[in-house]
Order: sequence, then C-alpha cells, then structure tokens
Amino acid sequence: MKTIAKERVDEITKQTAEPAWLKDSRLKAFESYLKTPTPCNRDENWHRTEVDSLDLTTLNVIVSDSKEVKAGKEPDVIAAALAHLGKQLPFIYTTPQSVEIGNADSALLSKGVIFCSLKTALTQHADLLNKYLSSGDLSTPDFAHNDKFYLMNQSLFNCGAFFYVPKNVILESPVLNVFTSGEESSIAVFPRVIIIVEDGAKAEFVNISTSARKTATDNTALSLINSSIETVVGQGATLSYLDVSDFSDNTFAVSRVYNEVKRDASLHSSTIALGGWQIKSDIQTNLKEPGAKSDIRGVVLGAGSERYSFNTIQDHIAPDTSSTINFRVALKDSSSSAYLGTIRVSKQGQRTDSTQSNKNLLLGANAHADSIPKLEILADDVKCSHGATVGPADKEQIFYLMSRGLNNLEAEELIVTGFFRQVVQSCPVDGAGDWINNLVAEKILSSKKA
Amino acid sequence: MAAREPLLKIEDLWVSVEGKDILKGVNLTINPGEVHAIMGRNGSGKSTLSYTLMGHPRYQITGGSIIFKGEEIGELPPNERAKKGLALAFQYPVAIPGVSVSNFLRASVKAVRGKDIPVKEFRQELKAQMALLEVKDEFLSRYINDGFSGGEKKRLEILQMTLLKPALAVLDETDSGLDIDALKVVSTGINTLATKETAVLLITHYQRILNYVKPDFVHVFQSGQIVKTGGSELSEELEARGYDWVTQELTPSGVA
Repeated sequence: MKTIAKERVDEITKQTAEPAWLKDSRLKAFESYLKTPTPCNRDENWHRTEVDSLDLTTLNVIVSDSKEVKAGKEPDVIAAALAHLGKQLPFIYTTPQSVEIGNADSALLSKGVIFCSLKTALTQHADLLNKYLSSGDLSTPDFAHNDKFYLMNQSLFNCGAFFYVPKNVILESPVLNVFTSGEESSIAVFPRVIIIVEDGAKAEFVNISTSARKTATDNTALSLINSSIETVVGQGATLSYLDVSDFSDNTFAVSRVYNEVKRDASLHSSTIALGGWQIKSDIQTNLKEPGAKSDIRGVVLGAGSERYSFNTIQDHIAPDTSSTINFRVALKDSSSSAYLGTIRVSKQGQRTDSTQSNKNLLLGANAHADSIPKLEILADDVKCSHGATVGPADKEQIFYLMSRGLNNLEAEELIVTGFFRQVVQSCPVDGAGDWINNLVAEKILSSKKA
Repeated sequence: MAAREPLLKIEDLWVSVEGKDILKGVNLTINPGEVHAIMGRNGSGKSTLSYTLMGHPRYQITGGSIIFKGEEIGELPPNERAKKGLALAFQYPVAIPGVSVSNFLRASVKAVRGKDIPVKEFRQELKAQMALLEVKDEFLSRYINDGFSGGEKKRLEILQMTLLKPALAVLDETDSGLDIDALKVVSTGINTLATKETAVLLITHYQRILNYVKPDFVHVFQSGQIVKTGGSELSEELEARGYDWVTQELTPSGVA
C-alpha cells in the first residue's frame, strides 16, 4: 500500500477553514499515521483482507467545499429507506459533489437536538465538538494506537455528520445520514460521524453508505471509503444505531466504529453489510461504567468474490456491565468472511455478563468463513460465553421449498432471510426489519443462478 | 371409462441412490381424479418413488420414463414439476427456522399458480382450509415445521396440498406417527383433496388409513417394484394375511 502525502492534510485544513485545535489534531493523527506500519495479511486481524493492491497515491482525495443545499427530489436510496422508516425523517445526503439536507423542519430537531453535517458542526458548534474530541475525558479506542486506516481518517476526514441529543430528550424516530460515492471511482473519501447522546436521553440513528452498482466490467479503478463512527451514550441514555452499507465491487470500505457506553446506558447497534470489493470493519465498544449494556448485531450477505472482515471488541472496563453479540453471515458464490470477536474483561470488570454468537451459512460451493473468538478475561467473577458455527445450506430445505414451486433463488432468499431473522427482527428502529429483509431479498434475487 | 390420456404414466422406472439400485422397473398408470394406494414394507422403495417423482437430486433415474400430463418430467427441476401440478406431502418435512408458515404459503401458492393472490382472498381461502384441518391461527406465525409435533407437521403438509390443488398429490406416509384423532382429521383433509381435479397417490405402510380414505386401486410394493395390483379389497387382505402372503404367492417356494 502506498502512502498519502502530507500536502493532503494541509489542503484539507486550508479549504475548510477549521479551528486551530482541529488542525493540530489532524496533524498529530497524521504523524501517528506515518509511524504506524501498514497492515499486511499476516496480521491476524487482516489475514483475509488484501491491502497490497491499494495504491493511495492514485486516489483522488475528495474535498467537497460545496454549499449545503435543501434536498430536491429524494434520491432512490433515501426514498426506499424513508418508505419503511417514516416519510418525514430528517436526512443528510452526502455525495462527492454535494451535501443535501432533507426534512430539516422535522419536530425531531427541536429541544436543542443538533443534526448537521460535520462541516457545519465545526463552524457552528465548534466548542461542543471540542469538548468531546479534544478533552482527555474520552478514552481512545485501540485503533488510535495501532490502526493506520483509523489514523488516516482522523487526519483526513472530509465529510460526515454530527448528531447531538441533549439531556433527557427522548426521540422515538431516527435521523438518517446517507453517504454515496455515486458512480465515481478512483476516489478516497473519509467520512466521520459523531453521535452524542447525553444523560437520560434516547435516540436512534441510521447510517447508510452506498455506491452505484457498477455496470462496466472494468475492475481496476478502485475507491477507498474510510469511515469513522464515534458514539457516546451518556448515563442512563439509550442509543439505537443501524448501519446499512452496500458498495460496488470496486470499493474498498474500511470502517472504524467506537462506542462509549456510560453508567446504566444502553447501546443497540446493528450493522448490515450487503456489498463491496472488500469490507473491513472494526467495532469497539467500551463499557465504561457500572450498569452499561451493549447489544451488537451484524448481518453480512456476501456474493461474487466479495470479502468481509469484521472485528468486534467488547471492553468491559467497569464492574456489572453486560454485552451481547450476534453476527450472522451468509455467503454465496466464492465470497468470504472472517469474524474475529474479542471479549475483554478488565480486573475491575467483576460480574461481567457477556455472550457472543457468530453463525455462518455457506451457500456457494467456494464460499469460505472463519470465526475466531478471543476471550481476554482478568476478572474472576464473570459470565462469558461464545459460540460459532460454519455450515453449508441444507439441501433438504432447498428441495422442500422447490417442491412447493419456488425456484432456486427464491428458495435461497427464504432460507437466508430466515437465517437472518433473529438478528434483523430485534432491531429497535421501527420498520427496519422489513426494509432489511427487502434489501437482502433484492441482492439474492438479482444475482445470477449459481 | 372412456379412453383418455393418463395423468401419470411410469414405465419401467429404474432409480439408484449412490450407485445402488432402489427402484427396479416400476410401472404405474394414474388417471385424473383416481385414488391409488401403494403399500409395502419399510425399505421396499416406496419413499424413493415419491422423491423421484418430485425430482430430489439424490435420486438418479437410470432407466425408464415418467410421463406426467403427456410430458417426460424426469429432467425437470422440482419447482417446474410443482408448477405442472405435481405435489408431494413429505413423510419427514424439514424445519426452516426464521421462515414463517404464512410467508411461505403465500410465496408457494404464488409460484405454483403463477400469479399473486390478493392478501384478503388468500386469507379467506387459507382460513377455510385451516378450519377443515383443525389448524389453529397461531400456526401461521410459527416457523415452518420448527418445533412442530408429528401431527402438526402432517397437517401442514395436507394444508399445503389443499391450497396448491395439484393434479396429482403424492402423500408419503402421511398417516405414520398420527394418533387416531389426528388420523381422522388428516383423512378428512385427504378426502376433500381427492376430487375429479386431484388424483391422489397414497403411500403407506399400514392399512389403517384406508379405513377412512377409499382407494380405487391398491398396489403392493416390494423390492423396488409393484408386484400386485387390485381394488380396495386388496388392502384388507394384506391386513389380514400380511405382506408375507404376497411374497409367498409370488415365490411359491416361500423364499423371497
């Protein structure tokens, strides 16, 4: 992997007229970035991802400096989401060329709730952001120390969103943050999303990332989408986060999610990965104070030669915290997945209650799945369990469904949505279940017969 | 009966599983609306015949032909056979976790009939058949055969047959594992199913179900072949005298 020149960082800070503290933080991250070795597939965490083929010097780092405009007609990707989740939900739609804001008059955005692009936040709410980004209060995730892509994002982030829910404000519907790289290729984009839910508040956030499905067979022009998502769930607060990504097969998508869950707070997070050349996603959740709870779910549907690598880390720092993880992966054709799930319990983390489950369904004859659980437990009074399965689709199920008139793909679609159901139906965002089922069905039914 | 095209004509059918011959020259003709029963011991190849008719990939046809509605179907995938009007009620239907009965039934009926049915109309039709089979509403939201009792599984199979209204319903040991009350209910379902439009091929091990469902023809299956054919009186004779009687009749020395 070739590296990025420092001028890129200077360009970004110049064009976006950012506060000085932010420029410092970008440069600091860039220095660490330079010092951090490029991952290679000998690293446990990277052994299913091919990094060498990524040449960052050829990528055009997008600096969108365009004005934010009110959205005209909703793009299809948003219309489909709104149809299931609620017509009037506020959204931010970011493309390499523009940022559009929709339904900003929604009642959700009252009582001091802020939902805006990161750029707007940096000019209008710089102090608020500064409080969270540069105070020593926020414990930094593992990737801040050793992850080249995370540091790349922290120095170069050039779009994204900010969502702030003040104390005791209860929101029963989500806001939508939608990013698309459109049909552009050879671009590098660094979205950054910051979600702060203050003490006693309740909020929902839907993050959608896509690129236009490629029609050409040209597979050489790659794009990098390198995202960072940070959430802070305050004391007694609840955040439901839903992430849906569907990239084209020339996109290398890296995402780093860092969740911080405070006393008696709850985080529900569902990640739905439906496409991309390579998807490399790390989700770290720090349960920082007693009573903190997290519920992390994932659905991966691979096809073609897509590669997925998910790495979850549950860090039980305080006593009396609990976490559940449920990842389900279905792989068609010669797609592959590696799941690495770490449960970490500190010495102080007594009475931790943690379960982790990862199930893999192999539909394609050449599909491949790895599942690696890792337990690092230093406390002696804990309840931790983990389970993993990898197995082919049941031929008798396929035959049964086909004997009732369904063709091969229709049978597969029912079996896969059934396999995902346990994870999908419990997503706390209203209407999300049907929406996700539809997206899954679309991907299966549009694929070629194996 | 006037001369007409048979619904199903199986001629000298040979089938093997993993290289081993299981069916060894089956001949069977079924006309529209007829009820046939095939009786035989366990392991005689009865279920192989039902799976082969439906097109299970494990069963290799090595000789002979299956003509259904005038067309050779031996090469067709199972869903194409279903659309032509063939249906199989499984002896051991599989569970499919996460897929609700109602979603599945609707997808299935849509696929077989080749068109979507309005939800309301479908509900009405479904409710009528469910009442007949004494199936509770909560059935619909459960996952296919997941945690179903033996009797529930068989009812769901017959329920599907009555919804799909095939030209030929093959019922593979639908009576096995049922208590007498369930047997009566399922038999009522089968009798409703068996009309001028729907012929039934009832594969069974016991004579018991034939007290409730009267076949036009009874065939005795043995060692991968139909060895004897008669009217419904044949089943009573089998019940009274056992399968050995057929064996002895066929091999006078008594050596099967």
